[in-house]
Amino acid sequence: MTPVVDLFLAMMKEEWRIHSTVFGGIWFGLFPAVIAVFAFIGSLALPIFSEAVPCTTVALLALIFFLLAGVMVGSFGLMGREFMNRRFGQASLIAYASRSLPVSEQRIFATFLVKDTIYYILLYVLPFTVGFAAATPLISLDPGYILLAFVSLTLAFLIGLSAVCFLSTLYARSVGLLAGALVALAVIVLAALPLGAATVFPPYSFLLAPGIEPLALSLLFILVPATVSVLFVTADYPDRTKRFRNSFDPLADMLRPLGSEHFIAKDALDLLRSEGGAGKVVFSFLLPVGLIWACLGILVRFTPGIDPLMIFAVLLGVISATIYNWLTEFDSFSSYTFLPVEVSRVIDGKLKSYALLSLLPVVLIVVVAAASSGAGAILPALAVFMPVSAYTLAVTVYLTGLHPNVMLYHAGVFARYVLATSPALLLIIFASIIDPRYVYGSLLLLLPAAFLLHRGRGKWQAWEMPGY
Amino acid sequence: MHHMIEAEGLTKNYGSVTAVNGVSLNVAEGELFGLLGPNGSGKTTMIRMLTGQVRPTSGSARVMGLDVVENPIRIREVVGIIPEQETPPSFLTAEEYLRFVARIRNLDGIDERCERWFDLLEFPDKRDVLCKDLSRGTRQKLMFAQAFLHEPRLVLIDEPLINLDPIMQRKVKDFLRGYVRDGGTVFLSTHILGIAEEICDRIGIIHNGRLLYTGPVDDLTGSGRHLESFFLDLVRGDAGG
Repeated sequence: MTPVVDLFLAMMKEEWRIHSTVFGGIWFGLFPAVIAVFAFIGSLALPIFSEAVPCTTVALLALIFFLLAGVMVGSFGLMGREFMNRRFGQASLIAYASRSLPVSEQRIFATFLVKDTIYYILLYVLPFTVGFAAATPLISLDPGYILLAFVSLTLAFLIGLSAVCFLSTLYARSVGLLAGALVALAVIVLAALPLGAATVFPPYSFLLAPGIEPLALSLLFILVPATVSVLFVTADYPDRTKRFRNSFDPLADMLRPLGSEHFIAKDALDLLRSEGGAGKVVFSFLLPVGLIWACLGILVRFTPGIDPLMIFAVLLGVISATIYNWLTEFDSFSSYTFLPVEVSRVIDGKLKSYALLSLLPVVLIVVVAAASSGAGAILPALAVFMPVSAYTLAVTVYLTGLHPNVMLYHAGVFARYVLATSPALLLIIFASIIDPRYVYGSLLLLLPAAFLLHRGRGKWQAWEMPGY
Repeated sequence: MHHMIEAEGLTKNYGSVTAVNGVSLNVAEGELFGLLGPNGSGKTTMIRMLTGQVRPTSGSARVMGLDVVENPIRIREVVGIIPEQETPPSFLTAEEYLRFVARIRNLDGIDERCERWFDLLEFPDKRDVLCKDLSRGTRQKLMFAQAFLHEPRLVLIDEPLINLDPIMQRKVKDFLRGYVRDGGTVFLSTHILGIAEEICDRIGIIHNGRLLYTGPVDDLTGSGRHLESFFLDLVRGDAGG
């Protein structure tokens, strides 16, 4: 066997073992099955939605979703070392091991990319396609769409993945270079948007009209950034050992009236100083929220009955709950086990940090409501956003404790999360369509939210400190 | 004699694996006790049970008069603990981490306490560096400082010198002896026999979760035996059944 094949197989094993160690082999093995089931159910619903939304729009949304999945996988693979170190101690993944293996950085990185491509196609794209394929006979869809869906979803996923690899290579060389590339990318995308998604986004044009040209263009969008990132990859990151004056005490003093001030101050510094920093707010929050608002703009053209602001408030509530994931990303209870600290106190601190950070989505919903529908829309939008955000957060805390970033990949936990949140959210959306005044009913979600938070504290106290 | 640690038949099972098996021992006030054993012999589990981090499967233990099952948080308030893995939060600086711990422990005079430890362990130039960027040795110094920050009467240390350079090892050994001379008590676990031979008053030898021996170090060295040969004979004899 050649060294590259050995390397590839070792990386595949490593990726599997990381996931199966964290989530348990069987439960992680079931994750693709859960994706297939949800894809199957979603595909069965296509004829119902097609009354209101054209299938091409649904397909575009699915492709955008997989593009973002590629971006997320790439970001974690390349910038997740801090997270891995917190989770596993000093992580020494093969991808970071060019100094200890007789293999060049380029070869390791190229193998890493191939591994990510195959691993995550097997984990995400293939199960999604299987679910879709299982539904096609039941919704009388041409089976030819199965292969078409698989290819176009794979292309969208890989464009996201290779774009992030390219950007990370720039980041390793110079932060300024990365900033320049991001600005250039934003300008190009904004300038190209009026041309329409079918022109700008080759996987979508391939899905609409399969042919050599969109396929070649998609491959170009994948291979050029990936090749450049492999050729210019470097493991010699500039020395970024930063020094900071004591910001902890002034911050904690300021937060003292809230209680748990030391935990909140620590969370704030974790967020500000971790890799990504403010970029996290842009890429994990503002960008998806902006995309959702744009998608709702498309949706409303086909479904005149809906109130895009209410749907936006619901989705913003769900997305804002992921702020909790940021807050727990670099924290682990193992940092506190030798100190006089109970898990419930750490969770309380996270909840207070969450409440403070929620000012960002609150300001956003107020601005969007006022700008899109006038000042009168602010109160109903807030009445939807705040309970949805609190309820989704409470479900997350109850199901995942201090580990949302890993536990939501556990098939059973993920299924329970979807089942606990989606009926309530769909009910609010449908209620808002029937009568806008019904949205105030979403305030009732605050009751199960309070109950779940109370139960979650006790549950995770027992889990992290078994027997006490 | 006043005992700071009293363990009776302490046992911990992880599924079918018995990590610690019926260990009984006492550590007196003002004593430097070393628990010796090969890797995986149960030393870390023992410390974790004594500090309320892991609940014993059976047996009982009292630390500074507090039952380890009934008062796990209170025990961690009064003792200092240095875990085997140094895990200060990544994005606080060394100084901020000590201040964080000081707030958790409701301590006053934080400035003086921090200065004292930065000077003693010789890393004032690292006080404003993020913990994630510190070397393992400096991180261990930081964990040392956090454990002594509240001036506890008892400190439990898991592998105290493993990442430190020889100069700092000497300094820490001298500090620990001085701390015990001043009335403090230390329970340390290690597989480095030289440390125990040099600084411990009394040792326990643990293998496969069972305590095979406890006794004063002087009894061994006084009888002309080397700790290393005694340890190896005991462990090999136990392994041979």
